[in-house]
Amino acid sequence: MNRNIKRTFLMSLLTALMLSAAFAGVSSAAPAWRFNGEELKSPEKIVGAAEKSGLTIPGMTTTCENFLYTIVISNTSGTGTGSITELPLYNCSTNTKCTVTAITPEKLPWAANLSTISTKNYIIIKGIKVSILYGGKLCVVNGVTAELEGTAGGWLDNTTESATFSPTTFSTTKTELTMLGNTVEWNGFFPTEAFEWHREQALSAS
Amino acid sequence: MAQGTGAERLLRPLAKTTGAGTLSALVATVVLGISGCGGGSAAQTTSSAMESTSATDSKATSAKAKAPSAAEEEQREAAGKVRRAVGDRQTSPRGKQGPEIAVPKGKPEPEITPEQKANSNLANIALSSPATTSGSSLPATYTCDGRDIWPTLEWEGVPPGTAEFALFVMNMQPVDGQIFVDWAVAGLDRFLGSIETGKLPEGAVTGENSFGKVGYSICPSQSKAETYMFVLYALPKALHPEEGFDALDLREKVIDQSGNAGLMVTSYSRS
Repeated sequence: MNRNIKRTFLMSLLTALMLSAAFAGVSSAAPAWRFNGEELKSPEKIVGAAEKSGLTIPGMTTTCENFLYTIVISNTSGTGTGSITELPLYNCSTNTKCTVTAITPEKLPWAANLSTISTKNYIIIKGIKVSILYGGKLCVVNGVTAELEGTAGGWLDNTTESATFSPTTFSTTKTELTMLGNTVEWNGFFPTEAFEWHREQALSAS
Repeated sequence: MAQGTGAERLLRPLAKTTGAGTLSALVATVVLGISGCGGGSAAQTTSSAMESTSATDSKATSAKAKAPSAAEEEQREAAGKVRRAVGDRQTSPRGKQGPEIAVPKGKPEPEITPEQKANSNLANIALSSPATTSGSSLPATYTCDGRDIWPTLEWEGVPPGTAEFALFVMNMQPVDGQIFVDWAVAGLDRFLGSIETGKLPEGAVTGENSFGKVGYSICPSQSKAETYMFVLYALPKALHPEEGFDALDLREKVIDQSGNAGLMVTSYSRS
């Protein structure tokens, strides 16, 4: 084998290695759900919970002391997806004279998917719609039903098995929730747990 | 709601073991103990056993009603016990031992009933102003620091069956135990889609605001930031109030009648 053939062979090998590394990098961009490090094979129900999660529009913050969600997660072609099936809210109030008479998550289930942005994993929830009926004699929106709508992106932290929603995660994931024509600031820290076949196992996304 | 939501049920601690549950756990532990002799950790075997069960059953489980059956509960209970029995902590980097999410105190907030929805004002009229964006500060010209005239207001999405509009501008926070009205206008024609700055359309009547003035005024105390809510109500029938009407009285009537509203939030701070 002369030098030229050797050089060509080595260059081809190097190119092939680089290409395979590049493709491997692309495929890891869509994270999957894992339990104890093993990729989830079939749907699993998990519950997320937060304490004092607040929705803020200018002049008024609606806070719920507790906030749960049930999400059925699965992996589709190696990418983590989810379906939020339930969203009970507890002890909701505002920082004004308005009370929360009733609150309804609409059009459930809401679809979710995992995404990696700059090495961090996020859960993107789409089609969010929550109707809030405000009351109170001294409330300027007494008797008004306001609708919260849009998408939300939360950072998934594998070490704490939690999802964090904040203005930073909304900005990173290019998601937005609106209410009464205003962008809503949603802050919440949701530890998550599996409650079916992977109960007590460590949940992660990678 | 007596039994709580599905999420609540999932969060409740495992019930005391039933006879069948104990038996299942015992059998599973023995089986795992035996299979563990063949190599590999018992915990890993548990996981794979659970995975194979899950592969066949979980689709059906997720498709079922939210409330799990007694048999499922027992199965889960047994599985949980098995994991603990075989030392699942070794496979969990966090060393989990039971749910860490607590069941929230109290009951979930009630959902909006169809009757409440029908009687409420759905905020589905898009109210805006070219002078400011909702949530932003109002330019001084529209306050007592300037000309104290209302900004141009525009709206879209008027529901069918609207006879006229009524408009209220209120401080977000009440003053002396009462809603503070900065401006109240009724008799706005149903075909209108806007009000020009400082110019009321024909037929419109103005109420007395909380400053005691028949007109508009945005004038917070010195060094105080105030948030204002502009609310445009669509009314199914005309109310015909007279000039100088009592703004709070009319607002009560408007809330009772109206089914749709447009809202805009703004603020102003006097330096």
